[in-house]
Amino acid sequence: MSEQDHEPSRLNRRQFLKYGAGAGAAGLLYSSGLQARALATKSRIVILGGGAGGMAMANRLSRRLDGARISLVEPREVHHYQPGWTLVASGVWNPEKTMRPNSRFVPNGINWIRQLAAGIDAANRKVELEDGSQLDYDYLIVATGLQLNYQLIDGMSPDLVGSHGIGSVYASIEGATRTRDAIDAWIAQGSGKGIFTAAPTPVKCAGAPLKMTFTTLSRLEASGRREAFQVEYMAPGDALFTQPYINDFVKQRFDDQGVTRRHHYRLSAIDPQARKAEFTFVGPDSEFTSHHELREAEFSREGERKVVTGYDFIHVVPPMSAPDYLKSSDLIAQDGPFRGEWLDVDMHTLQHNRYPEVFGIGDVIGAPINKTAASVKAQAPVVEANLIAQLQGQTLPRRHNGYTSCPMITGIGKAMLVEFGYDNDFAFLPSFPFIDPRDESWVTWVMKDRMLQPAYYAVLEGRA
Amino acid sequence: MTMTGILTILMYALAPFLWLIVTSVVLLLTVQLLAHLRGYRILGYRCLGANLAAIAVGLTGLWWIPLFTHSRLAYVASVFDWIALIGALFATAILAWLVLHPLSFLLRGKSASSA
Repeated sequence: MSEQDHEPSRLNRRQFLKYGAGAGAAGLLYSSGLQARALATKSRIVILGGGAGGMAMANRLSRRLDGARISLVEPREVHHYQPGWTLVASGVWNPEKTMRPNSRFVPNGINWIRQLAAGIDAANRKVELEDGSQLDYDYLIVATGLQLNYQLIDGMSPDLVGSHGIGSVYASIEGATRTRDAIDAWIAQGSGKGIFTAAPTPVKCAGAPLKMTFTTLSRLEASGRREAFQVEYMAPGDALFTQPYINDFVKQRFDDQGVTRRHHYRLSAIDPQARKAEFTFVGPDSEFTSHHELREAEFSREGERKVVTGYDFIHVVPPMSAPDYLKSSDLIAQDGPFRGEWLDVDMHTLQHNRYPEVFGIGDVIGAPINKTAASVKAQAPVVEANLIAQLQGQTLPRRHNGYTSCPMITGIGKAMLVEFGYDNDFAFLPSFPFIDPRDESWVTWVMKDRMLQPAYYAVLEGRA
Repeated sequence: MTMTGILTILMYALAPFLWLIVTSVVLLLTVQLLAHLRGYRILGYRCLGANLAAIAVGLTGLWWIPLFTHSRLAYVASVFDWIALIGALFATAILAWLVLHPLSFLLRGKSASSA
């Protein structure tokens, strides 16, 4: 097993400035009595995944726990700011802007295991690693993120992104860059049909398929030949977005901008050489079911309706789920809408429903909304407080209200700050009284373009 | 949000523009210092040209500030958008004045000043 304590190579200028500023702020915190006291414990804590959720928890727990043996299982050396990928695919950002070394964020004293997890034995509290070794834990934080299931679309592979008119902002940073190039090539053609799809499963950043449509519309309008391009949006359900007001707004805006909407169709196959896509009618009950349930229904149906259509550009949104090794573990939901596909946690306490020593954070959890970095910001303090309470045998003190946020880009240069939670039919939960979530705004765009990435890094460091 | 959180966000937000901030501050301080060494006093010198030029520089922000943020003036729509943009224009004009006013003194000399 290749494990080693993470040691910074040197104190660079950035760290010096940060710690200088941080020292002053820490002084303020101590003097005002706001700094939480560290809890002494010898517990073995394993954090699966070093994305937004895992890294935030690594930083928070390393500060809150004294003597804990914390392991972070994360093979990647590069941390990707995924909320920036839509801006890369829209031609606004350079891809380099979204990447930072993971070593910048991994706290000292953490056992950073640069491997993939291969399995979880929840009954015996063991994580199996890629090299066959095992990692015992007393407490487990599942922050694996999710898995992109391109293979569930016949003929589709992430390697195709950027060729044959295929784009997919989700594939990777390279995929987002190649998506930008594919859109460029389509616009350079001067005319043609573009199809934008959505997935029949919960997805991360549910606004991304809509954002890609809106930013492409901006670029088509800027080309001066908007009328020469056909744009279609194929949705697997009746809704385009969970939040009711925004859903109605987007539908109306698509209609106003000449986007043809078709509902209850999922992308089921693609023929890249012929530039043809097959869509399968999935019926009005498809929304927010797991792909597992969808496939069961699909395979049991005779003579299902299919539509095959040509395209010049297609934006593919793959079905998504928890990673395979998690799906084959006992931590996966056994019943309900997330069965077989997502982590089985209480969506308020974020504690596992059957294994109290296990908590979940981020995209992997079974919840109707919440697969955004903004959700991680809201979830991290809940997991921290509840895990520490669990360590002490106390009642879990904090509840997550489902807060999630999507800066809904409605064109290159404008956006809406959509923040909402579980309650009251996904009612708005605005953070700023001076920003109306129903308004398109330049300031919201500036936040997306300039401020949310710094805020994200503060979340990674456990500072926000 | 803790103070460290705010500082962390500011640090990451300002880092790409550190060169611009440092250059602007150096320019501002250099011009102010040179002018002060030659007898310039901020309230003791008047120059309509510098005032108008600073206002003009501020107003150019209507074009370049939205552009700098990958946007356009047409998208400055809500009341808060305008408050933010006017604040940015005002700050730009003040900074321009703090450079142009002493610069004008240096170029024109004391002969033009009238207390």
